[in-house]
Amino acid sequence: MKRYLFPGVVLVLAYPLLAAGYPVWERLGALVLLAAIGASAWNIVGGYAGQVSVGHAVFFGFGAYSAVVVYTHLGWPPIAGAPIGMLLSVAVAAVIGVPTLRLSGHYFSMATIAVAELVRVLSSTSEFLGGAQGLTGPAMPRTVFDLSFLSATPFYYIFLAVLAFLLGLTWWIERGRMGFYLRAIKDSERAARSLGVSAGRYKLYAYMLSGAFTSLAGSLYLCMFGFVDPESGFGILISVKMVVMAALGGAGQLFGPLVGALILVPLEELSNSYLGGRGAGLTFVVYGAIIVIIARFLPSGLLSLFERRSAKPAAKSEIASGHAD
Amino acid sequence: MDNMTRRVFAGAAALAALGVVTGAAAQQPVKIGVIYPLSGNSASAGNYSKMAIEVGADVVNNGNAELAKIMPIAKGGGLSGLGGAKIQLIFADNQGTPAAGQNQALRLISEEKVAAIIGAYQSGITVTASAIAERHGIPFLTAESVAANLTERGFKWFFRTTPVAIDFARAYSTFLREQKAAGQKVGSVALVHENTEYGNSVASVIAEQFAKDGLPVTQKIAYSANSSDVQPQVLQLKEKNPDVAIFISYTSDAILYTKTMKELGWKPAIMIADNAGFNDPAFVKSLGGSVEGLVNRSTFAGGKPGSVPELFNELYKKKTGGDSLDDVSARGLQGFLVMADAINRAGSTDPAKIRDALKATNLPASQMVTGYEGVKFDDKGQNILASTLITQMRGGQYVAIWPKDRATAQIVLPYKGW
Repeated sequence: MKRYLFPGVVLVLAYPLLAAGYPVWERLGALVLLAAIGASAWNIVGGYAGQVSVGHAVFFGFGAYSAVVVYTHLGWPPIAGAPIGMLLSVAVAAVIGVPTLRLSGHYFSMATIAVAELVRVLSSTSEFLGGAQGLTGPAMPRTVFDLSFLSATPFYYIFLAVLAFLLGLTWWIERGRMGFYLRAIKDSERAARSLGVSAGRYKLYAYMLSGAFTSLAGSLYLCMFGFVDPESGFGILISVKMVVMAALGGAGQLFGPLVGALILVPLEELSNSYLGGRGAGLTFVVYGAIIVIIARFLPSGLLSLFERRSAKPAAKSEIASGHAD
Repeated sequence: MDNMTRRVFAGAAALAALGVVTGAAAQQPVKIGVIYPLSGNSASAGNYSKMAIEVGADVVNNGNAELAKIMPIAKGGGLSGLGGAKIQLIFADNQGTPAAGQNQALRLISEEKVAAIIGAYQSGITVTASAIAERHGIPFLTAESVAANLTERGFKWFFRTTPVAIDFARAYSTFLREQKAAGQKVGSVALVHENTEYGNSVASVIAEQFAKDGLPVTQKIAYSANSSDVQPQVLQLKEKNPDVAIFISYTSDAILYTKTMKELGWKPAIMIADNAGFNDPAFVKSLGGSVEGLVNRSTFAGGKPGSVPELFNELYKKKTGGDSLDDVSARGLQGFLVMADAINRAGSTDPAKIRDALKATNLPASQMVTGYEGVKFDDKGQNILASTLITQMRGGQYVAIWPKDRATAQIVLPYKGW
């Protein structure tokens, strides 16, 4: 795994140079990183702690709405809403988490869906949040702080910095006491408790941290796209995409969500670009089929390819996974 | 082998040269990007609009003798202002999300190099897609997004052909005042509206306009569109018995109101529905017979034989295998025709020239597929001649009754119902 790290980092840093002059590809890079931020944030509670939240759109929406609300009602640059969204999300995570994290397995997932749907419906009746019509960010950049760029490259590096920080933080947690606690809870919460791990408390910490960074992803989304309505802020598809991305790359692994985003986002964008215009819904057929294939043959995520290989160095590498890299 | 390769190269070079020559002789096609929901919740509307615009492009590229008598752009042979260049439509799917809409707008601009963009149906997606077009300096025309703030953003490349809530309110007001002048009693008006964004905003715009025009709104009833019983609301109406009732409703509640009014035996002298639920084919099919004489609005309601709407509708029916143009697809087609006319007058694919031509647009009512008074943009890009037809339910279908010059039938009052 480690030997891919250095070339990977170089490639990621240099990508905008390779894509320069091709706005669609510049943007694609930024979209991958943005999705990776959301999925990596989800990974803290969904992957490491094994609490599969399917309602993370709540935090994403809080982030997006915080950014647009400070613009609409106070005239601030949207990005100034990001810290507010993060604080709100931590508070909301505590409120939702205390009762729901007691639930186990799919009951927890169901509860998170219910909360997200509830928030979506409520937001569509709130005049403060623009109701069903949603709210629009600054139409034209007023100052550089509005983060309204013609090219996607500045976004790329902003997203990259945030993602690097988030992954660094996750790595630090992973190696520390909390990381061991979370993995213990994931394997068997009862066993972890019997060994003295304060499971409830650590799940809640993970949930709050995860919520804060998901919210940041929402704020960054708003800065880039400049519009949010209940469906694009709190819609269930947003939650589902985070789960699918992390699961596809490898949930509970540091780079899993990034790998998932690297596969899914280009797949989604390119299939829509080349098939979408025909209007037969072909995009989703192809998109879905590829997810099904990966889920069938690599159930523990794409990263498991590398693990399998490094675990069996003696085995010849022309096994089924050989052609995948 | 070497020889072979050389021969292949020579052949390829000759072919390429031929291609260059023929390419130079024929005009490059003009690319227009079209962003619509081709999948997702609104896919049906998007795909119908796509077909309507394809009909429009076919008329411009290949001509139509009958239409050519009314509108010069239908002469055929492409855009005469660009030496007969054909129009090439590049469709993109917004998937019903603002993000996909914006990503696709960028692709159309940077990869497909379109000269202009039409789209994107949902107002929220028009917001994000047009922002990209604005930054890149590409004209963006929306033919159906009605959110009021779209034209309030100070954009220089944004145009909207469709009427918005205030245009509908003006049409109702003018219509009712004409009825009053003709001796109909319109002393009290009730507004019955569902209580989300759509109903609330339309009701308040109508109330404001009516207050200005001296039409007394005496009753405002807000209700939830998914309630299962509207007896209390109908009883409230029955008690006050207004002369005019305007319903702003979705489908299931429209059905409920129709049935409940029949049960309780109450009807106003003039009953008006604000499109939406009362125009749903499902409603018209199942309850058309119970709302005989219902007044409604639509930007499309057929037309007299030989008129632009009628001719386009026939072409469209041929393409779809029987489906007629409707309010949405007709507005989409209208938007495309405005864009084609502007590009033709610009005589160039230079975005700035197309924008200037759009600004100078001045199309008469006789060339409209929809019931607009014409197309002429104000400084904000809104079509100031946007208007709507007022229709009436007759024997199971809506026919145009107002304005008089485009009506296909005489108005019959009072409301008959069942």
